[in-house]
Amino acid sequence: MCALDTEIWPLPNADILQLAFEVPRTTESLLPRAMHPAIPPYATIWVTRYPESPVGPFILAQLRLMARAGAHPRGLVLGAVASTEEAAAALRERWGLPAVSGKVTFTRRHDRIMATAVRDGLTVLECELVDPEAISGSDVQYIHSVALANAPLDGKTGPLLVQVDSRYTIKKAERGRPRVNILLPEPWGAGPLRPGHPIAATVTTCDTDLPRIRFVMNVETPVVRGTRRIRESREE
Amino acid sequence: MKFGLFYELSVPRPWTRESERTVYMNALEQVRLADELGFDQVWAVEHHFLEEYSHCPAPELFLTACAMITKRMRVGHGIVICVPEFNHPIKIAERTAVLDILSGGRLEVGTGRSATWTELGGFRANPDTTKKSWDEFVRCLPKMWTQETYAYDGEFWSMPERTIVPKVYQRPHPPLWVAVTTPGTELDAAERGLGSLGLTFGQFAEQEKRIAEYRRRIRNCEPVGAFVNDQVSTVNFLYCHEDDTTARNTGRRMADTFNYLASQLISAREAFPSRSYQSLGLLPQLRRQATGPDASEQAGEGLAFGGPQRVLHALKRWEAVGVDRVNFLLNAIEVIPQADVLASLRLFAKEVMPAFADDKPASGAVSS
Repeated sequence: MCALDTEIWPLPNADILQLAFEVPRTTESLLPRAMHPAIPPYATIWVTRYPESPVGPFILAQLRLMARAGAHPRGLVLGAVASTEEAAAALRERWGLPAVSGKVTFTRRHDRIMATAVRDGLTVLECELVDPEAISGSDVQYIHSVALANAPLDGKTGPLLVQVDSRYTIKKAERGRPRVNILLPEPWGAGPLRPGHPIAATVTTCDTDLPRIRFVMNVETPVVRGTRRIRESREE
Repeated sequence: MKFGLFYELSVPRPWTRESERTVYMNALEQVRLADELGFDQVWAVEHHFLEEYSHCPAPELFLTACAMITKRMRVGHGIVICVPEFNHPIKIAERTAVLDILSGGRLEVGTGRSATWTELGGFRANPDTTKKSWDEFVRCLPKMWTQETYAYDGEFWSMPERTIVPKVYQRPHPPLWVAVTTPGTELDAAERGLGSLGLTFGQFAEQEKRIAEYRRRIRNCEPVGAFVNDQVSTVNFLYCHEDDTTARNTGRRMADTFNYLASQLISAREAFPSRSYQSLGLLPQLRRQATGPDASEQAGEGLAFGGPQRVLHALKRWEAVGVDRVNFLLNAIEVIPQADVLASLRLFAKEVMPAFADDKPASGAVSS
């Protein structure tokens, strides 16, 4: 990242597929010291189809290890694959997301929603939500992300945790069973992570955004002491 | 107003052979002293897998020990989880009856359904159905305690006709309560004639509104048991010290520690979107109180830490909004030395409790 003053990106009519599943205790080694593992540890796969964005339509697949920053639930983005080079570059530069480009698909069938990610000819993700049933959008709670990035602060560039606290106005929501057929941990920077006990999968259609950056956190210091507020509002 | 103790039994890491035993033994020493000082009740949670936050998966055993070392304090399940993967209803009826006998009729039975994925997922329970199974269990329990024989065929469990023994010692049966963490559950309690066992720490105006609605609804309830338990209990922290600043700093440290530990767990709503867990629930509330917008001086509203006059004032406010009982958490992962906890109890009993004395012991059957 070259700056922490990126502008907000409105992202209307996005489709978000989220799969949650428990993961082994050994994934605690993936967390920076500033964060605390959730009890029990779990991860989410997020595949989002953005039909409109400042860089045109794209699909983004992310793997997040769910954790705590102080008392707050947060998802540490371990890896991300964007379907266009331009989107991947913007996500890296503006929000510190560890995005690379690849082929990402998001497919809806009557009884399932499927997603894949392919990098350098290798399928690194194949997952699906099975048997979707309508639920209330108010039942879905999305946890904010944090990305580990080299970012400038106080005239120096170094590793920081960058909070990405998007907003969601959910228009439609469904829940189903999560199924992960392929998840290669290494390409996602997720060494010991293996999908364990499935929790739930949701798919929503919503208006969302990528916000201005409000908070960054020191990687080594507990967030209560190591958080810096960059600006008051995510819009200002 | 009646006062009691409330135990999560939180155990700090690193866990040694003795650390869990120390927490349990400290708690029993506190209970013994509280009985002597005139506290009315002791409650213990049922939690599973909640590392550090609560190492109390078998409250009936802890409460049996409490009953054996006390003379007058009532002993309460706060709560027993009414989800079939956790507890079979026959076992609940049997265990509680034995505890009621051993305690000489001092049992109170709180009911609930768990609010964490940590627990629900661990038992592979379906979060969608916990409220339904709770509703089924609480309607069965009084009949299992009181009928000569019992048979049942329901959605979550069934049994052919049998005689469930032993029967409870209290007549008609122990008071029943519901754990109330999310707004609206107090109305579930009221409609069934059950006591409202509040497990949130919180603010007068909100609680007053909810208590008023509970009182209004329970007047027209259809009780699931043999009597209406029209009582409102709430939970609070307690640290009382002659020096108000010392007390507030120590109490704040305990509350922050407790809330921080709670926030590391996974609430049901966080991981598993469900109509059954629509509102924030206890854990997100505690998280907000730890570091969110509620983590201000105002968030300390009504918390019982301070000098005796401050604690007295807070509890009088709770009394004024309609609370019948207050149960106190005394510690969190032993951040307060045991000697200080005991001193706090003694000071509270000497300087604060007399202002609430009415000489009547706590009882469940207050209206019928």
